[in-house]
Amino acid sequence: MVSAVVPFDAKRIPRAHTLAFAAAWIVLAVVAWALAPVRTLPGPSEVLGALSRLWWEGGLGPELFQTVRLIAEATLVSAALSLGVAWSVTVPALRPLVRGLSKLRFLGLTGLVFPFTLAFGGGHGLKVALLVFGMSTFLVTQVARIVDEIPRAELDLMRVLGASRARTMWEVVVRGTLDKTLDAVRQNVAMGWSMITMVEGISRAEGGLGAMLLNQNKHFKLAEVYAILAVVLAVGLLIDLGMGALEAALCPHTRLTRSQS
Amino acid sequence: MNAPIVLSAKDVHVSRSGTAVLGGVSFDIVDRTREGAVTGQVVCILGPSGVGKTTLLRVLAGLDAPDAGAVTGVAGAPLVAGDVGLVFQDYPLIAHRTVRDNVVLAGTLRGLSGPKLEARADELLARVGLVAQASLFPAQLSGGQRQRAAIAQQLVVPRRLLLLDEPFSGLDPAALAGISELVVAVANEHDLNTVVIVTHDVRAALRVSDTVIILGRGAKGGGARVIETIDLCARGIAWGEGDDAARARIEREITERLTS
Ligand SMILES: Nc1ncnc2c1ncn2[C@@H]1O[C@H](COP(=O)(O)OP(=O)(O)OP(=O)(O)O)[C@@H](O)[C@H]1O
Ligand SMILES: [Mg+2]
Repeated sequence: MVSAVVPFDAKRIPRAHTLAFAAAWIVLAVVAWALAPVRTLPGPSEVLGALSRLWWEGGLGPELFQTVRLIAEATLVSAALSLGVAWSVTVPALRPLVRGLSKLRFLGLTGLVFPFTLAFGGGHGLKVALLVFGMSTFLVTQVARIVDEIPRAELDLMRVLGASRARTMWEVVVRGTLDKTLDAVRQNVAMGWSMITMVEGISRAEGGLGAMLLNQNKHFKLAEVYAILAVVLAVGLLIDLGMGALEAALCPHTRLTRSQS
Repeated sequence: MNAPIVLSAKDVHVSRSGTAVLGGVSFDIVDRTREGAVTGQVVCILGPSGVGKTTLLRVLAGLDAPDAGAVTGVAGAPLVAGDVGLVFQDYPLIAHRTVRDNVVLAGTLRGLSGPKLEARADELLARVGLVAQASLFPAQLSGGQRQRAAIAQQLVVPRRLLLLDEPFSGLDPAALAGISELVVAVANEHDLNTVVIVTHDVRAALRVSDTVIILGRGAKGGGARVIETIDLCARGIAWGEGDDAARARIEREITERLTS
Protein backbone atom coordinates (compact mmCIF):
# COMPACT_ATOMS: atom_id res chain seq x y z
CA MET A 1 0.00 0.00 0.00
CA VAL A 2 2.92 2.33 0.71
CA SER A 3 4.10 2.18 -2.92
CA ALA A 4 0.72 3.59 -3.97
CA VAL A 5 1.86 7.04 -2.88
CA VAL A 6 5.42 6.80 -4.23
CA PRO A 7 5.93 8.50 -7.62
CA PHE A 8 6.93 6.27 -10.58
CA ASP A 9 5.84 3.10 -8.80
CA ALA A 10 2.62 2.59 -10.80
CA LYS A 11 3.93 -0.66 -12.34
CA ARG A 12 4.13 -2.37 -8.96
CA ILE A 13 0.47 -1.76 -8.15
CA PRO A 14 -1.92 -4.64 -8.95
CA ARG A 15 -4.66 -3.79 -11.43
CA ALA A 16 -7.36 -4.46 -8.82
CA HIS A 17 -5.88 -1.78 -6.59
CA THR A 18 -5.79 0.73 -9.46
CA LEU A 19 -9.49 0.08 -10.07
CA ALA A 20 -10.21 0.43 -6.36
CA PHE A 21 -8.44 3.81 -6.33
CA ALA A 22 -10.52 4.93 -9.31
CA ALA A 23 -13.75 3.78 -7.65
CA ALA A 24 -12.83 5.58 -4.43
CA TRP A 25 -12.24 8.84 -6.32
CA ILE A 26 -15.58 8.52 -8.14
CA VAL A 27 -17.45 7.87 -4.87
CA LEU A 28 -15.68 10.87 -3.34
CA ALA A 29 -16.71 13.09 -6.28
CA VAL A 30 -20.37 11.98 -6.08
CA VAL A 31 -20.47 12.53 -2.30
CA ALA A 32 -18.98 16.00 -2.73
CA TRP A 33 -21.58 16.70 -5.40
CA ALA A 34 -24.49 15.49 -3.22
CA LEU A 35 -23.30 17.39 -0.11
CA ALA A 36 -22.17 20.58 -1.85
CA PRO A 37 -23.45 23.54 0.21
CA VAL A 38 -23.73 25.87 -2.79
CA ARG A 39 -26.61 24.72 -5.02
CA THR A 40 -25.43 25.74 -8.47
CA LEU A 41 -25.81 22.20 -9.75
CA PRO A 42 -28.88 20.00 -9.50
CA GLY A 43 -28.21 17.06 -7.15
CA PRO A 44 -27.53 13.48 -8.29
CA SER A 45 -31.11 12.31 -7.71
CA GLU A 46 -32.58 15.16 -9.76
CA VAL A 47 -30.21 14.42 -12.66
CA LEU A 48 -31.01 10.70 -12.49
CA GLY A 49 -34.72 11.49 -12.53
CA ALA A 50 -34.27 13.78 -15.54
CA LEU A 51 -32.25 11.10 -17.29
CA SER A 52 -34.97 8.50 -16.95
CA ARG A 53 -37.66 11.02 -18.05
CA LEU A 54 -35.60 11.95 -21.13
CA TRP A 55 -35.00 8.31 -22.00
CA TRP A 56 -38.57 7.04 -21.59
CA GLU A 57 -40.53 10.12 -22.67
CA GLY A 58 -38.13 12.60 -24.27
CA GLY A 59 -36.76 10.42 -27.07
CA LEU A 60 -33.17 10.49 -25.80
CA GLY A 61 -32.44 7.12 -27.47
CA PRO A 62 -33.14 8.17 -31.08
CA GLU A 63 -31.36 11.51 -30.57
CA LEU A 64 -28.32 9.70 -29.21
CA PHE A 65 -28.40 7.42 -32.25
CA GLN A 66 -28.38 10.49 -34.55
CA THR A 67 -25.35 11.89 -32.79
CA VAL A 68 -23.41 8.63 -32.81
CA ARG A 69 -24.21 8.18 -36.51
CA LEU A 70 -22.93 11.69 -37.19
CA ILE A 71 -19.62 11.15 -35.38
CA ALA A 72 -19.15 7.79 -37.14
CA GLU A 73 -19.74 9.34 -40.55
CA ALA A 74 -17.50 12.33 -39.85
CA THR A 75 -14.75 10.06 -38.50
CA LEU A 76 -14.76 7.78 -41.53
CA VAL A 77 -14.72 10.64 -44.04
CA SER A 78 -12.13 12.58 -42.07
CA ALA A 79 -9.85 9.55 -41.61
CA ALA A 80 -10.04 8.63 -45.30
CA LEU A 81 -9.23 12.18 -46.41
CA SER A 82 -6.58 12.91 -43.79
CA LEU A 83 -4.65 9.66 -44.10
CA GLY A 84 -4.58 9.97 -47.88
CA VAL A 85 -3.28 13.51 -47.65
CA ALA A 86 -0.86 12.84 -44.79
CA TRP A 87 0.72 9.76 -46.43
CA SER A 88 1.48 11.86 -49.46
CA VAL A 89 4.16 13.76 -47.46
CA THR A 90 6.41 10.95 -48.63
CA VAL A 91 6.24 12.56 -52.10
CA PRO A 92 8.44 15.68 -52.05
CA ALA A 93 6.29 17.61 -54.54
CA LEU A 94 3.20 17.16 -52.36
CA ARG A 95 4.82 18.19 -49.08
CA PRO A 96 3.93 21.90 -49.29
CA LEU A 97 0.29 20.97 -49.92
CA VAL A 98 0.17 18.85 -46.77
CA ARG A 99 1.90 21.55 -44.73
CA GLY A 100 -0.59 24.13 -46.04
CA LEU A 101 -3.64 22.01 -45.28
CA SER A 102 -2.45 21.38 -41.76
CA LYS A 103 -2.04 25.13 -41.20
CA LEU A 104 -5.78 25.56 -41.81
CA ARG A 105 -6.40 24.25 -38.30
CA PHE A 106 -5.76 27.76 -37.02
CA LEU A 107 -8.79 28.96 -38.94
CA GLY A 108 -11.36 27.55 -36.53
CA LEU A 109 -14.93 26.61 -37.36
CA THR A 110 -16.90 29.77 -36.68
CA GLY A 111 -15.94 31.63 -39.83
CA LEU A 112 -16.67 28.59 -41.95
CA VAL A 113 -20.35 28.19 -41.08
CA PHE A 114 -21.49 30.68 -43.69
CA PRO A 115 -19.42 29.53 -46.69
CA PHE A 116 -20.04 25.89 -45.79
CA THR A 117 -23.79 26.53 -45.62
CA LEU A 118 -23.65 27.96 -49.13
CA ALA A 119 -21.59 25.03 -50.32
CA PHE A 120 -23.39 22.17 -48.59
CA GLY A 121 -26.87 23.64 -48.33
CA GLY A 122 -27.27 23.26 -44.56
CA GLY A 123 -28.64 20.16 -42.84
CA HIS A 124 -26.76 16.88 -42.63
CA GLY A 125 -24.16 17.77 -45.25
CA LEU A 126 -23.21 20.96 -43.42
CA LYS A 127 -22.78 19.17 -40.10
CA VAL A 128 -20.59 16.45 -41.60
CA ALA A 129 -18.55 19.05 -43.51
CA LEU A 130 -17.94 21.17 -40.41
CA LEU A 131 -16.89 18.19 -38.33
CA VAL A 132 -14.72 16.74 -41.09
CA PHE A 133 -12.96 20.07 -41.53
CA GLY A 134 -12.44 20.54 -37.81
CA MET A 135 -11.14 17.02 -37.34
CA SER A 136 -9.12 16.62 -40.54
CA THR A 137 -6.89 19.65 -40.18
CA PHE A 138 -5.63 18.20 -36.90
CA LEU A 139 -5.48 14.60 -38.09
CA VAL A 140 -3.44 15.55 -41.18
CA THR A 141 -0.97 17.36 -38.92
CA GLN A 142 -0.62 14.43 -36.55
CA VAL A 143 -0.32 11.71 -39.19
CA ALA A 144 2.09 13.72 -41.35
CA ARG A 145 4.29 14.01 -38.29
CA ILE A 146 4.03 10.27 -37.61
CA VAL A 147 5.17 9.61 -41.18
CA ASP A 148 8.01 12.13 -40.87
CA GLU A 149 9.24 10.37 -37.76
CA ILE A 150 9.58 6.94 -39.36
CA PRO A 151 13.18 5.91 -38.69
CA ARG A 152 15.45 6.01 -41.74
CA ALA A 153 16.65 2.52 -40.72
CA GLU A 154 13.29 0.93 -41.50
CA LEU A 155 13.25 2.39 -44.99
CA ASP A 156 16.85 1.25 -45.53
CA LEU A 157 15.99 -2.25 -44.35
CA MET A 158 13.18 -2.47 -46.89
CA ARG A 159 15.57 -1.38 -49.66
CA VAL A 160 18.13 -3.98 -48.62
CA LEU A 161 15.40 -6.62 -48.74
CA GLY A 162 14.61 -5.52 -52.29
CA ALA A 163 11.13 -4.12 -51.62
CA SER A 164 9.39 -1.98 -54.22
CA ARG A 165 8.39 1.56 -53.26
CA ALA A 166 4.74 0.56 -53.15
CA ARG A 167 5.52 -2.35 -50.84
CA THR A 168 7.65 -0.12 -48.60
CA MET A 169 4.80 2.38 -48.49
CA TRP A 170 2.43 -0.33 -47.30
CA GLU A 171 4.77 -2.16 -44.93
CA VAL A 172 6.51 0.78 -43.25
CA VAL A 173 4.20 3.77 -43.70
CA VAL A 174 0.68 2.33 -43.65
CA ARG A 175 0.95 -0.90 -41.68
CA GLY A 176 4.07 0.05 -39.76
CA THR A 177 2.54 3.16 -38.19
CA LEU A 178 -0.99 1.75 -37.78
CA ASP A 179 -0.71 1.78 -33.99
CA LYS A 180 0.26 5.45 -33.90
CA THR A 181 -2.24 6.35 -36.62
CA LEU A 182 -5.10 4.65 -34.76
CA ASP A 183 -4.02 6.52 -31.67
CA ALA A 184 -4.22 9.80 -33.62
CA VAL A 185 -7.66 8.89 -34.98
CA ARG A 186 -8.72 8.08 -31.44
CA GLN A 187 -7.65 11.53 -30.23
CA ASN A 188 -9.40 12.97 -33.22
CA VAL A 189 -12.69 11.23 -32.47
CA ALA A 190 -12.47 12.73 -28.99
CA MET A 191 -12.01 16.18 -30.57
CA GLY A 192 -14.91 15.63 -32.95
CA TRP A 193 -17.04 14.47 -30.04
CA SER A 194 -16.23 17.62 -28.10
CA MET A 195 -17.38 19.72 -31.09
CA ILE A 196 -20.44 17.67 -31.89
CA THR A 197 -23.05 19.30 -29.66
CA MET A 198 -21.99 22.69 -30.98
CA VAL A 199 -22.24 21.54 -34.60
CA GLU A 200 -25.64 19.96 -33.93
CA GLY A 201 -26.74 23.26 -32.46
CA ILE A 202 -25.86 25.05 -35.70
CA SER A 203 -28.21 22.89 -37.78
CA ARG A 204 -30.96 21.52 -35.60
CA ALA A 205 -33.31 19.99 -38.20
CA GLU A 206 -32.04 16.44 -37.68
CA GLY A 207 -32.07 16.62 -33.90
CA GLY A 208 -29.28 14.90 -32.02
CA LEU A 209 -27.97 15.47 -28.51
CA GLY A 210 -26.78 18.99 -29.35
CA ALA A 211 -30.21 20.14 -30.51
CA MET A 212 -31.78 18.50 -27.47
CA LEU A 213 -29.32 20.25 -25.19
CA LEU A 214 -30.16 23.67 -26.63
CA ASN A 215 -33.88 23.00 -26.26
CA GLN A 216 -33.60 22.06 -22.60
CA ASN A 217 -31.28 24.98 -21.98
CA LYS A 218 -33.80 27.38 -23.48
CA HIS A 219 -36.38 26.23 -20.92
CA PHE A 220 -33.87 26.39 -18.04
CA LYS A 221 -34.32 22.68 -17.31
CA LEU A 222 -30.97 22.40 -15.57
CA ALA A 223 -31.37 18.78 -14.41
CA GLU A 224 -32.15 17.73 -18.00
CA VAL A 225 -29.17 19.68 -19.33
CA TYR A 226 -26.81 17.92 -16.91
CA ALA A 227 -28.40 14.55 -17.68
CA ILE A 228 -27.66 15.07 -21.39
CA LEU A 229 -24.11 16.23 -20.60
CA ALA A 230 -23.63 13.08 -18.52
CA VAL A 231 -24.74 11.00 -21.50
CA VAL A 232 -22.32 12.91 -23.78
CA LEU A 233 -19.48 12.19 -21.37
CA ALA A 234 -20.38 8.51 -20.89
CA VAL A 235 -20.83 7.78 -24.61
CA GLY A 236 -17.62 9.64 -25.43
CA LEU A 237 -15.74 7.46 -22.95
CA LEU A 238 -17.33 4.32 -24.41
CA ILE A 239 -16.27 5.27 -27.93
CA ASP A 240 -12.75 5.91 -26.67
CA LEU A 241 -12.71 2.51 -24.98
CA GLY A 242 -13.85 0.86 -28.21
CA MET A 243 -11.11 2.57 -30.22
CA GLY A 244 -8.54 1.44 -27.65
CA ALA A 245 -9.75 -2.15 -27.99
CA LEU A 246 -9.50 -1.96 -31.80
CA GLU A 247 -5.95 -0.68 -31.52
CA ALA A 248 -4.98 -3.47 -29.14
CA ALA A 249 -6.48 -6.09 -31.45
CA LEU A 250 -4.78 -4.82 -34.62
CA CYS A 251 -1.42 -3.94 -33.09
CA PRO A 252 -0.61 -6.42 -30.32
CA HIS A 253 3.11 -5.55 -30.57
CA THR A 254 2.50 -2.02 -29.31
CA ARG A 255 1.18 -3.13 -25.96
CA LEU A 256 4.07 -5.54 -25.55
CA THR A 257 6.54 -2.70 -25.89
CA ARG A 258 4.66 -0.44 -23.54
CA SER A 259 4.06 -2.83 -20.67
CA GLN A 260 7.09 -5.10 -21.16
CA SER A 261 4.88 -8.00 -20.08
CA MET B 1 45.71 -17.17 -65.02
CA ASN B 2 44.54 -14.56 -62.54
CA ALA B 3 41.68 -15.50 -60.22
CA PRO B 4 38.52 -13.52 -61.01
CA ILE B 5 37.60 -10.53 -58.87
CA VAL B 6 34.38 -10.97 -56.87
CA LEU B 7 34.25 -7.60 -55.10
CA SER B 8 36.03 -4.41 -55.96
CA ALA B 9 36.14 -0.82 -54.70
CA LYS B 10 37.87 1.75 -56.87
CA ASP B 11 38.83 5.07 -55.32
CA VAL B 12 35.55 5.42 -53.41
CA HIS B 13 34.94 8.93 -52.06
CA VAL B 14 32.04 9.82 -49.75
CA SER B 15 31.44 13.13 -47.96
CA ARG B 16 28.93 13.74 -45.19
CA SER B 17 27.89 17.29 -44.25
CA GLY B 18 30.82 18.70 -46.18
CA THR B 19 33.57 16.59 -44.59
CA ALA B 20 35.29 13.76 -46.39
CA VAL B 21 34.51 10.42 -44.69
CA LEU B 22 35.91 8.07 -47.30
CA GLY B 23 38.87 9.55 -49.18
CA GLY B 24 39.60 7.05 -51.91
CA VAL B 25 38.98 3.52 -50.65
CA SER B 26 40.27 0.88 -53.06
CA PHE B 27 40.56 -2.89 -52.79
CA ASP B 28 40.01 -6.02 -54.84
CA ILE B 29 38.76 -9.28 -53.41
CA VAL B 30 39.62 -12.28 -55.57
CA ASP B 31 37.90 -15.62 -55.75
CA ARG B 32 39.64 -18.03 -53.36
CA THR B 33 40.07 -21.61 -54.41
CA ARG B 34 41.04 -24.61 -52.38
CA GLU B 35 41.63 -28.22 -53.46
CA GLY B 36 38.52 -30.32 -53.03
CA ALA B 37 36.34 -27.76 -51.24
CA VAL B 38 33.78 -25.16 -52.22
CA THR B 39 35.34 -21.98 -50.85
CA GLY B 40 33.82 -18.55 -50.66
CA GLN B 41 35.50 -15.42 -49.36
CA VAL B 42 35.35 -13.92 -45.89
CA VAL B 43 36.72 -10.38 -45.60
CA CYS B 44 37.07 -8.50 -42.34
CA ILE B 45 37.20 -4.72 -42.28
CA LEU B 46 38.91 -3.28 -39.23
CA GLY B 47 39.31 0.32 -38.23
CA PRO B 48 38.80 2.74 -35.36
CA SER B 49 35.32 3.90 -34.40
CA GLY B 50 34.05 6.65 -36.66
CA VAL B 51 36.54 5.97 -39.45
CA GLY B 52 33.82 5.21 -42.01
CA LYS B 53 33.23 1.45 -41.93
CA THR B 54 29.43 1.69 -41.86
CA THR B 55 29.60 4.36 -44.55
CA LEU B 56 31.59 1.97 -46.74
CA LEU B 57 29.16 -0.92 -46.16
CA ARG B 58 26.23 1.29 -47.22
CA VAL B 59 28.01 2.01 -50.48
CA LEU B 60 28.78 -1.68 -51.01
CA ALA B 61 25.11 -2.52 -50.32
CA GLY B 62 23.97 -0.11 -53.02
CA LEU B 63 22.15 2.07 -50.46
CA ASP B 64 24.28 5.18 -51.04
CA ALA B 65 26.04 6.13 -54.25
CA PRO B 66 29.64 7.25 -53.76
CA ASP B 67 30.49 10.86 -54.63
CA ALA B 68 33.29 9.50 -56.77
CA GLY B 69 34.66 6.07 -57.55
CA ALA B 70 32.79 2.84 -58.02
CA VAL B 71 32.08 -0.53 -56.44
CA THR B 72 31.40 -3.71 -58.38
CA GLY B 73 30.60 -7.32 -57.60
CA VAL B 74 31.14 -10.62 -59.39
CA ALA B 75 32.28 -10.11 -63.02
CA GLY B 76 32.20 -6.33 -62.61
CA ALA B 77 28.43 -6.20 -62.09
CA PRO B 78 27.15 -3.09 -60.30
CA LEU B 79 26.01 -3.55 -56.70
CA VAL B 80 22.30 -2.78 -56.47
CA ALA B 81 20.21 -2.46 -53.28
CA GLY B 82 18.19 -5.63 -52.92
CA ASP B 83 20.88 -7.84 -54.45
CA VAL B 84 23.27 -7.43 -51.52
CA GLY B 85 22.54 -8.72 -48.01
CA LEU B 86 23.27 -6.28 -45.19
CA VAL B 87 22.87 -6.81 -41.47
CA PHE B 88 22.83 -3.34 -39.95
CA GLN B 89 24.77 -2.38 -36.84
CA ASP B 90 21.59 -1.96 -34.76
CA TYR B 91 19.59 -4.85 -36.26
CA PRO B 92 16.37 -3.13 -37.33
CA LEU B 93 13.40 -5.46 -37.86
CA ILE B 94 9.83 -4.83 -38.91
CA ALA B 95 8.18 -4.15 -35.53
CA HIS B 96 4.65 -5.28 -36.34
CA ARG B 97 5.75 -8.66 -37.65
CA THR B 98 6.80 -11.65 -35.59
CA VAL B 99 10.32 -13.02 -35.92
CA ARG B 100 9.12 -15.71 -38.31
CA ASP B 101 7.09 -13.21 -40.36
CA ASN B 102 10.14 -10.98 -40.60
CA VAL B 103 12.08 -13.84 -42.12
CA VAL B 104 9.21 -14.86 -44.42
CA LEU B 105 8.76 -11.24 -45.55
CA ALA B 106 12.33 -11.16 -46.87
CA GLY B 107 11.49 -14.14 -49.10
CA THR B 108 8.15 -12.72 -50.24
CA LEU B 109 9.86 -9.51 -51.33
CA ARG B 110 12.13 -11.50 -53.65
CA GLY B 111 9.30 -13.50 -55.18
CA LEU B 112 9.41 -16.63 -53.03
CA SER B 113 6.21 -18.06 -51.58
CA GLY B 114 4.41 -21.19 -50.46
CA PRO B 115 5.61 -24.19 -48.47
CA LYS B 116 9.15 -23.87 -49.84
CA LEU B 117 9.53 -20.42 -48.29
CA GLU B 118 7.93 -21.57 -45.02
CA ALA B 119 10.33 -24.49 -44.82
CA ARG B 120 13.29 -22.25 -45.58
CA ALA B 121 12.25 -19.81 -42.86
CA ASP B 122 11.92 -22.58 -40.28
CA GLU B 123 15.27 -24.05 -41.29
CA LEU B 124 16.98 -20.67 -40.85
CA LEU B 125 15.32 -20.02 -37.49
CA ALA B 126 16.57 -23.41 -36.34
CA ARG B 127 20.03 -22.56 -37.63
CA VAL B 128 20.26 -19.33 -35.64
CA GLY B 129 18.56 -20.89 -32.61
CA LEU B 130 15.34 -18.90 -32.59
CA VAL B 131 12.75 -21.67 -32.89
CA ALA B 132 11.30 -20.90 -29.47
CA GLN B 133 11.13 -17.18 -30.30
CA ALA B 134 9.58 -17.58 -33.77
CA SER B 135 6.22 -16.12 -32.79
CA LEU B 136 7.55 -13.27 -30.64
CA PHE B 137 7.64 -9.65 -31.81
CA PRO B 138 11.01 -7.88 -32.17
CA ALA B 139 10.27 -5.79 -29.08
CA GLN B 140 10.24 -8.99 -27.03
CA LEU B 141 13.72 -10.12 -28.07
CA SER B 142 17.06 -9.64 -26.33
CA GLY B 143 19.81 -7.83 -28.22
CA GLY B 144 21.53 -11.04 -29.26
CA GLN B 145 18.26 -12.65 -30.36
CA ARG B 146 17.44 -9.57 -32.43
CA GLN B 147 20.77 -9.82 -34.12
CA ARG B 148 20.27 -13.47 -35.01
CA ALA B 149 16.78 -12.71 -36.33
CA ALA B 150 18.26 -9.96 -38.52
CA ILE B 151 20.88 -12.37 -39.83
CA ALA B 152 18.25 -15.04 -40.58
CA GLN B 153 16.22 -12.43 -42.42
CA GLN B 154 19.17 -11.65 -44.70
CA LEU B 155 19.86 -15.31 -45.41
CA VAL B 156 16.42 -16.31 -46.75
CA VAL B 157 17.34 -15.33 -50.27
CA PRO B 158 20.82 -16.54 -51.20
CA ARG B 159 22.95 -13.64 -52.44
CA ARG B 160 26.53 -13.54 -53.65
CA LEU B 161 27.44 -10.74 -51.26
CA LEU B 162 26.53 -10.48 -47.59
CA LEU B 163 27.67 -7.57 -45.42
CA LEU B 164 27.61 -7.71 -41.62
CA ASP B 165 28.13 -4.56 -39.54
CA GLU B 166 29.69 -5.58 -36.22
CA PRO B 167 28.08 -9.01 -35.90
CA PHE B 168 30.40 -9.95 -33.03
CA SER B 169 29.66 -7.08 -30.68
CA GLY B 170 28.08 -7.92 -27.35
CA LEU B 171 28.10 -11.70 -27.81
CA ASP B 172 29.04 -14.32 -25.23
CA PRO B 173 31.77 -16.81 -26.31
CA ALA B 174 29.27 -19.51 -27.32
CA ALA B 175 27.16 -17.12 -29.40
CA LEU B 176 30.32 -15.69 -30.97
CA ALA B 177 31.45 -19.17 -32.00
CA GLY B 178 27.97 -19.88 -33.37
CA ILE B 179 27.83 -16.72 -35.48
CA SER B 180 31.40 -17.26 -36.71
CA GLU B 181 30.53 -20.77 -37.82
CA LEU B 182 27.39 -19.53 -39.57
CA VAL B 183 29.33 -16.83 -41.41
CA VAL B 184 31.90 -19.30 -42.69
CA ALA B 185 29.17 -21.77 -43.68
CA VAL B 186 27.29 -19.09 -45.64
CA ALA B 187 30.47 -18.04 -47.45
CA ASN B 188 31.28 -21.63 -48.36
CA GLU B 189 27.88 -22.36 -49.86
CA HIS B 190 29.16 -21.13 -53.23
CA ASP B 191 32.59 -20.42 -54.72
CA LEU B 192 31.59 -16.86 -55.58
CA ASN B 193 29.96 -16.05 -52.21
CA THR B 194 31.63 -13.25 -50.30
CA VAL B 195 30.91 -12.23 -46.73
CA VAL B 196 32.25 -8.88 -45.53
CA ILE B 197 32.39 -8.36 -41.79
CA VAL B 198 33.03 -5.11 -39.99
CA THR B 199 34.36 -5.74 -36.51
CA HIS B 200 36.52 -4.45 -33.67
CA ASP B 201 37.32 -7.98 -32.53
CA VAL B 202 40.71 -8.76 -34.11
CA ARG B 203 40.85 -12.30 -32.74
CA ALA B 204 37.39 -13.18 -34.08
CA ALA B 205 38.32 -11.58 -37.40
CA LEU B 206 41.39 -13.79 -37.72
CA ARG B 207 39.37 -16.89 -36.91
CA VAL B 208 36.87 -16.47 -39.72
CA SER B 209 38.45 -14.47 -42.52
CA ASP B 210 40.91 -14.97 -45.33
CA THR B 211 41.47 -11.25 -45.95
CA VAL B 212 41.78 -8.40 -43.46
CA ILE B 213 41.37 -4.82 -44.63
CA ILE B 214 42.40 -2.03 -42.26
CA LEU B 215 40.84 1.37 -42.76
CA GLY B 216 42.46 4.47 -41.36
CA ARG B 217 42.81 8.16 -41.83
CA GLY B 218 46.06 9.55 -43.11
CA ALA B 219 47.98 12.08 -41.03
CA LYS B 220 46.92 14.84 -43.41
CA GLY B 221 43.22 14.01 -43.06
CA GLY B 222 41.01 13.88 -46.12
CA GLY B 223 38.94 10.81 -45.34
CA ALA B 224 39.58 7.13 -44.73
CA ARG B 225 41.62 4.88 -47.02
CA VAL B 226 42.78 1.31 -46.94
CA ILE B 227 46.03 1.50 -45.00
CA GLU B 228 46.76 -2.20 -45.17
CA THR B 229 45.39 -5.38 -46.73
CA ILE B 230 46.52 -8.62 -45.14
CA ASP B 231 46.19 -11.84 -47.11
CA LEU B 232 45.74 -14.51 -44.43
CA CYS B 233 46.04 -17.30 -47.01
CA ALA B 234 49.48 -16.11 -47.95
CA ARG B 235 50.34 -15.93 -44.24
CA GLY B 236 49.13 -19.49 -43.86
CA ILE B 237 46.52 -18.93 -41.15
CA ALA B 238 43.26 -18.84 -43.15
CA TRP B 239 40.69 -21.65 -42.92
CA GLY B 240 41.89 -22.82 -39.54
CA GLU B 241 45.39 -23.58 -40.84
CA GLY B 242 48.60 -22.51 -39.16
CA ASP B 243 49.54 -22.52 -35.50
CA ASP B 244 48.46 -20.39 -32.59
CA ALA B 245 51.84 -18.66 -32.41
CA ALA B 246 51.53 -17.38 -35.98
CA ARG B 247 47.97 -16.27 -35.31
CA ALA B 248 49.01 -14.46 -32.13
CA ARG B 249 51.85 -12.72 -33.98
CA ILE B 250 49.52 -11.39 -36.66
CA GLU B 251 46.97 -10.39 -34.05
CA ARG B 252 49.63 -8.34 -32.26
CA GLU B 253 50.74 -6.82 -35.55
CA ILE B 254 47.19 -5.74 -36.43
CA THR B 255 46.44 -4.41 -32.94
CA GLU B 256 49.59 -2.31 -33.11
CA ARG B 257 48.58 -0.99 -36.51
CA LEU B 258 45.15 -0.02 -35.14
CA THR B 259 46.45 1.70 -32.02
CA SER B 260 49.36 3.57 -33.61
N1 LIG C 1 24.91 12.14 -41.87
C1 LIG C 1 26.11 12.46 -41.42
N2 LIG C 1 26.45 13.74 -41.23
C2 LIG C 1 27.67 14.07 -40.77
N3 LIG C 1 28.63 13.17 -40.51
C3 LIG C 1 28.36 11.89 -40.69
C4 LIG C 1 27.09 11.45 -41.15
N4 LIG C 1 27.10 10.11 -41.24
C5 LIG C 1 28.33 9.72 -40.83
N5 LIG C 1 29.09 10.79 -40.50
C6 LIG C 1 30.47 10.76 -40.03
O1 LIG C 1 31.18 9.84 -40.80
C7 LIG C 1 32.15 9.17 -40.02
C8 LIG C 1 32.09 7.69 -40.25
O2 LIG C 1 30.89 7.18 -39.75
P1 LIG C 1 30.63 5.61 -39.76
O3 LIG C 1 29.29 5.38 -39.16
O4 LIG C 1 30.85 5.09 -41.12
O5 LIG C 1 31.77 5.11 -38.77
P2 LIG C 1 32.15 3.62 -38.34
O6 LIG C 1 33.52 3.37 -38.82
O7 LIG C 1 31.10 2.68 -38.78
O8 LIG C 1 32.18 3.75 -36.77
P3 LIG C 1 31.72 2.70 -35.63
O9 LIG C 1 32.82 1.69 -35.53
O10 LIG C 1 31.66 3.52 -34.40
O11 LIG C 1 30.41 2.13 -36.05
C9 LIG C 1 31.90 9.58 -38.58
O12 LIG C 1 32.91 10.47 -38.18
C10 LIG C 1 30.58 10.29 -38.61
O13 LIG C 1 30.57 11.37 -37.72
MG1 LIG D 1 29.64 1.61 -37.83
